[in-house]
Amino acid sequence: MQENTQDGTPGSWFRVTITSRIKYDRIWLINSIQRHCSVPFTPVDFHFMHDGAQFFVQEASTASALMEVSNKICDEESRKVCIPVFVSPSAAPYSVRDKLKPEEMELLKLTLSKRFDVSQQALDLRRLCDDPDLLGHDIDIILNRRNCMAATLQIIKKNFPELLSLNLSSNKLYQLDGLSDILQVAPTVKILNLSKNKLTSVWELSKMQGLKLEELWLQGNPLCGTFPDQSTYVRAIRDRFPKLLRLDGQELPSPVTVDVDTPCVLKPCKGSYFGSDELKSLVLQFLQQFYLIHDYGDRRCLVAFYHEEACFSLTIPFHPEDPAPSSLCEYFKDNRNMKKLTDPHLRVQLLKHTNRVIVHTLCVLPKTQHDLSSFVVDTWFQTETMLCFSVSGVFKEVEGSSQGCVRAFTRTFIANPASYSRAHFSFNLCIMNDELFVRDASPSETQSVFSIPVPTPTSSSMHTLSQEQQDIMQASSTRPEVNL
Amino acid sequence: MAMPMDFKTYVDQACKAAEEFVNIYYETMDKRRRVLTRLYLDKATLIWNGNVVTGLEALANFFDTLPSSEFQVNMLDCQPVHEQATQAQTTVLVVTSGTVKFDGNRQRYFNQSFLLTAQSTPNNTVWKIASDCFRFQDWASS
Repeated sequence: MQENTQDGTPGSWFRVTITSRIKYDRIWLINSIQRHCSVPFTPVDFHFMHDGAQFFVQEASTASALMEVSNKICDEESRKVCIPVFVSPSAAPYSVRDKLKPEEMELLKLTLSKRFDVSQQALDLRRLCDDPDLLGHDIDIILNRRNCMAATLQIIKKNFPELLSLNLSSNKLYQLDGLSDILQVAPTVKILNLSKNKLTSVWELSKMQGLKLEELWLQGNPLCGTFPDQSTYVRAIRDRFPKLLRLDGQELPSPVTVDVDTPCVLKPCKGSYFGSDELKSLVLQFLQQFYLIHDYGDRRCLVAFYHEEACFSLTIPFHPEDPAPSSLCEYFKDNRNMKKLTDPHLRVQLLKHTNRVIVHTLCVLPKTQHDLSSFVVDTWFQTETMLCFSVSGVFKEVEGSSQGCVRAFTRTFIANPASYSRAHFSFNLCIMNDELFVRDASPSETQSVFSIPVPTPTSSSMHTLSQEQQDIMQASSTRPEVNL
Repeated sequence: MAMPMDFKTYVDQACKAAEEFVNIYYETMDKRRRVLTRLYLDKATLIWNGNVVTGLEALANFFDTLPSSEFQVNMLDCQPVHEQATQAQTTVLVVTSGTVKFDGNRQRYFNQSFLLTAQSTPNNTVWKIASDCFRFQDWASS
């Protein structure tokens, strides 16, 4: 059975029924359903019933998407109670079927405008059904009826979207399902007058939960008589509107809330951490020596920095959506990221073992220029026999297909602080473990790289290095004796 | 007396430890923050973006004030640490990287390294964190 949609084109309507003995928060319920539903939907004529809730949707595709949601939504608290969702074809909902004619809407809009106080953003709809303007034109605006309430809210949405105060006193309202749509239409409402209506249960107010009410009038409704005393009444209302300041014209004592103060502030970040000045100079000297050879010398000389049984591995990030970012292709071969690499045999193979194997790997990696001014170092563990530190910074590739590319890295070293010497030069750290993580530099990292200009020694201009630098290169090219 | 192990066995052991540990660590950090300190040695140290936190009590306070988190790890690597450095205390270096969203803050990339050390009890051997180093990749900007 087909009914016309609001713009006149034919469309089918479906009724969606959620059965549950537990009363749910409308916003929570709709959001929960939407989360599991592949198609966005707009619930029309949402209303609660004694054993659940119901609303309408248009289009068969929306309906079938909603059918998939059944039993996927679980009770907020227990997570064990699954909520069934039933979808069935139906006639158009009341607000659509009995939609006001355009001329009726126009008249209603005029009437409402007369009752609107723009300075207070207040709409006084007291006894709307008895309004002389409406009666004179033979229009029945009974706000209990879904179509009338929907029409009123539509006008509010269009003409008074910043509404602060709404007076619905004396409109014979016995349920608030229709009014609860105001949460979508004018959530700004802070003052609500529902006095002298026919609301029989405080449960009706639950449908309005979500409105940040500061003032509420309920006197003259049957529900007021259902409470044993004033304080129980106030508590029940405040449960639903925690920010309420005035009820039935009376100032409420300020609420005592339990505020679980969840922290949102992070500790400020600091630069390099060394632990002591001695360690600082030790580590910085090491890094200077290491990268001097790594960038400007023969990487084979690095063999002197590593223990015979040292380990080295290299990783790049793994993004499942973009498994092979081509810019880091030079590093694919050696990438030991265990998030991607699951073969145990390969995991062993790609862990480079012994100083000779390590240096062989390093020699094959792209030629680089590290920006030592970008380095931040964390010296994070120290014993007599072990020093762990991590260095992060940026470097430029100076050769090959990625020439000019700026990379960022984090390299973790575990070194034995043994001093060993060759000729008049001594090494202070013997690398046992070396883990290198390389990623593309961010735009800000790329911009700031080499902000301090660095002269570029080329391999043919070794004579431009200082005597000390040449000594380091020479000393490291032969195997040292280790003194512990 | 411990049986001498070959390199491959050390590596396998390290990989197994690293994978199991990392899953538990970030799950605990995200969902059971209160018990996170159980994964640390009594005298463990954390260097968090250059801030030093030493000992279980300080760690407990630190994790308590750290906003709730959602971690996603996209890089994991590990290496067995040579016994000459550890004085025969079985140790694994674990390195991770990924993104984290702390409540009230934007999502950020991070790098983290751990030293895991094997602690033997009569019934079993458990891995505990001896030291932990954490840094945002964009630590300089807040």
